[in-house]
Amino acid sequence: MTTTAQRTRTTSYVNAILEAQRQLLTADPNVFLCGEDVALYGGVFGTSRGLMAEFGPQRVVDTPISESGIVGMAIGAAATGLRPVVEIMFMDFVGVCMDQIVNQLAKMRYMFGGKATLPVTIRTMAGGGRNMAAQHSQSLEAWFCHVPGLKVVMPSNPYDAKGLLVAAVRDDDPVLVIDNKMQLGMQGEVPEDLYEVPLGKARVVREGTNFTIVATSRMVQEALAAAEQLGADGLNVEVVDPRTLQPLDIETIATSVRKTHRALVAHEAVRFGGIGGEIVAQIQEEAFDYLDAPVGRVGAPFSPVPFSPALEALYVPNRDTIVTEVRRILGKQV
Amino acid sequence: MVDGNEEEQLLRDLHRRMVRIRVFEEEAGKLMEQGKIPGALHLYVGEEAVAAGVIAHLSAEDQITSTHRGHGHLVAKGGDFRLMYAELFGKAAGYCKGKGGSMHIADLDLGMLGANGIVGGGPPIAIGAAFSNKYRGTQHVTCCFFGDGASNEGTFHEAANMAALFKLPVIFVCENNGFGEFTRQDRHQAVRDIADRAAGYGMPGVIVDGMDVLAVHEAAGEAIARARRGEGPTLLECKTYRFFDHVGVRGMGVVYREDSEVLEWRKRDPITLFESHLADAGVMSADAAAAVWLEVRSEAQDAITFAEQAPYPASAALLEDVYATPV
Amino acid sequence: MPAPIGIIANPASGKDIRRLVAHASVFDNEEKRRILRRAVLGAVAAGARHFVLMPDSHGLARSAFDGLDGEIQCESVAVPETASALDTIRAAAQMRATGCGVVITLGGDGTNRALALGWRDAPLIAISTGTNNVFPTLIEGTIAGAAAGLAVTGAVSPAEVAPQVKCVAIEIEGEPDDLALIDAALVAQRHTGARALWQPELLRAAVLARAEPAATGIAAVGGLLRAVSGAEDQGLGLWFGPGGVRLRAPLAPGLYRDIDVRETRLLALGEPVALAGPGVLALDGERERVLRDGQRAFLRVQRDGPRVIDVHRTLHLAAQRRTFVQGGGSNPSEIEIGARIWR
Repeated sequence: MTTTAQRTRTTSYVNAILEAQRQLLTADPNVFLCGEDVALYGGVFGTSRGLMAEFGPQRVVDTPISESGIVGMAIGAAATGLRPVVEIMFMDFVGVCMDQIVNQLAKMRYMFGGKATLPVTIRTMAGGGRNMAAQHSQSLEAWFCHVPGLKVVMPSNPYDAKGLLVAAVRDDDPVLVIDNKMQLGMQGEVPEDLYEVPLGKARVVREGTNFTIVATSRMVQEALAAAEQLGADGLNVEVVDPRTLQPLDIETIATSVRKTHRALVAHEAVRFGGIGGEIVAQIQEEAFDYLDAPVGRVGAPFSPVPFSPALEALYVPNRDTIVTEVRRILGKQV
Repeated sequence: MVDGNEEEQLLRDLHRRMVRIRVFEEEAGKLMEQGKIPGALHLYVGEEAVAAGVIAHLSAEDQITSTHRGHGHLVAKGGDFRLMYAELFGKAAGYCKGKGGSMHIADLDLGMLGANGIVGGGPPIAIGAAFSNKYRGTQHVTCCFFGDGASNEGTFHEAANMAALFKLPVIFVCENNGFGEFTRQDRHQAVRDIADRAAGYGMPGVIVDGMDVLAVHEAAGEAIARARRGEGPTLLECKTYRFFDHVGVRGMGVVYREDSEVLEWRKRDPITLFESHLADAGVMSADAAAAVWLEVRSEAQDAITFAEQAPYPASAALLEDVYATPV
Repeated sequence: MPAPIGIIANPASGKDIRRLVAHASVFDNEEKRRILRRAVLGAVAAGARHFVLMPDSHGLARSAFDGLDGEIQCESVAVPETASALDTIRAAAQMRATGCGVVITLGGDGTNRALALGWRDAPLIAISTGTNNVFPTLIEGTIAGAAAGLAVTGAVSPAEVAPQVKCVAIEIEGEPDDLALIDAALVAQRHTGARALWQPELLRAAVLARAEPAATGIAAVGGLLRAVSGAEDQGLGLWFGPGGVRLRAPLAPGLYRDIDVRETRLLALGEPVALAGPGVLALDGERERVLRDGQRAFLRVQRDGPRVIDVHRTLHLAAQRRTFVQGGGSNPSEIEIGARIWR
């Protein structure tokens, strides 16, 4: 934490985002927000409520439902000196603007020999749990971690939500900030002033001694709950939240694994091809000699996100899935 | 109205811009055929009047977005031949340090926001630059070049709608050369005039003869002035023709068009037409025109020599410039 | 079989810079196609069976015939497509050679001027789909087509309803002749540029075959000073500049400008007006011909233009002749009798 904040109070995750955006708009005249229903309506998740009234429609801009147009507008604005903060309402909608993100935004700096600076922040909302079915519930962070030129952030609590967003907006590279819609009501201590949580720095959320769970976004809370439960098994679980997936702070993760000798990675995205596979690979590269067990992965099963509450409950990983997987890993040990 | 001298200066300027494009492209084509330039080249020969006529109105603070056929736009915007050829050769001295090549050639200092390997990639970026011009309270405009093929991409429609909605200072310049890559226009869209689509977004749509640099220049001037006045975007369709193939040089003896058609359009070569007009108007004799060609050819030869001799990027460059602030 | 009907639909009309510098509408090609479709249906209903088209890259004109039965013969003249006025000029000449009985044009003044350059005295029905439309008229395509059909079947002969119109014949020293159907103006420019005419300060002089107060363009400038109808055997000359009157006139759709007119003079048919360069001659509202320093052009109003069919009169005559009444040739009393018997 680069800035020591003087005053904190308990507030919600959504308020943390709103406050970050308000303070960023105040601090930097080149910052503007745009996206679908971000202005008059205040964002469908309330993350920009009241900001149009405060900063005017020039700086808090309602756009048509045109994701490619929105992201492209941010690229052109950033290339000419502005610092756009774009909201793609649901992460699933990135499908209609992938070219602008992947072929334009991510590559422009490199293709132009370093001459373009593109401080674009794309905020978007991932995750299931609200029965919004297959096109409003996905966690697609792995797509973007795979693309050189992009940075990817997934906060897991109100403090990080504000600090990471501030860092993302102030960063001179394109950053996707992926929030989870189930966390919006989550309460936590949040400093009143502007502060940054640096990009690329993982956090040890819970210290432990003999098992590491690397968990992202909403899975951090599930991992903490699992850790409590696993205490009964005699495990003292350490929980590490990477916070930034690209660039990935493998050192903090590897340090933890070298200490605990066993690890599991948990994310909400589909397990196959998820970022967990990359993290596991890097753990074995960095800490192979320290491992006492195969490194496990928890993720969603290989299906689209189902609508029915009965099925969605099976789909999204949770404390129990994590506990089961940890026990399976341990059970394999002789 | 410009006075006589200013006007003659403008005419000579337009001529030189077109000649520079033609010479740059023809030489690039030769280098490609000789195997000296790696990768793919999409050459602008035949369409010079569009880039020259539009860009002559712009300063370095006005931006353009370009296409895969982008050399002409950068040349018209004042691109340095040496840095351009060096980029085409993949050399470290190139505009993009050799990391972009033909399809991504750019010079942000000149307001050239990049050629683009994705058809339809440019329009959303163009409205962003235009948004920025307006946001920053400037009078600058953005010209978005795109083709008849790109007009079928969703990005064009999104950008056109947003530009009109936000009254952005952007000019959508459609270089309708009658082909989307190798597919004739009547086989890729049911409409013939892209300008017809302007009404669908609530902006004026205008057609000009894209082989007549003065027609393009005058219409673009009006559209740009309108944008600078804050009255919003215009769709300017320039009817033009690609003398060469979609990629490379060969333009005749191909399956997707008749040679007779190419020859018919070549009769309306924008540079020949303009030189004949300049001679009639007493602005530039055939000898004076020939001198411009000579001068530009020599500029190109010097630049090619420079580019050929320039070193390739060092290995370390591979991982540079992925991020502005690597973590 | 009745003579063929020539069809020239200019895809480029209604799309020039006057959408930007003035307030003209975009006339899209889908609308033109539908008008043409209605014209074809009207012509077929009136007995036409054979059509000759100017081709275009997208087959816009041809698509107006989609789904019509095999009795309808439709062919394209063979001209290379250049997306310029040259297409219309060449097509018109070929239509004359083919023996077309009438030509239907969709376009503006410029389109009809090009037609006249290819076929000076063509029997013509001109449907307006352009910008400055003094020559073609806003008429329902169905009815225009019906009139064309009546012309080629001989039900109402063009000789009855199609007086030859005036035009401005133009000789240019050392260069090919030219033509304007409504007006020719000299403007103080050296290039044709984006063609259209909208800046009053550039006007030097004009010769008008017709001066129409209820029009836009140069015809309106003259018409608001001294109307000269198409029927009158005279034209109007205008010389611009201070020292005369200041007139407010619509130089283009929606674009009123104050214009200084130094002199207005009626011109007898055939009376030459000499205009000298440098300048550009704008013909029917479009800058077309560059005059070099001292190069002269001689302009004369003549009655040797197209023979324009009066559509309303044609349909009135057809009604009188009961052309559309089933059974043909019946008079009112027979109809009434027949109706009574049937009842």
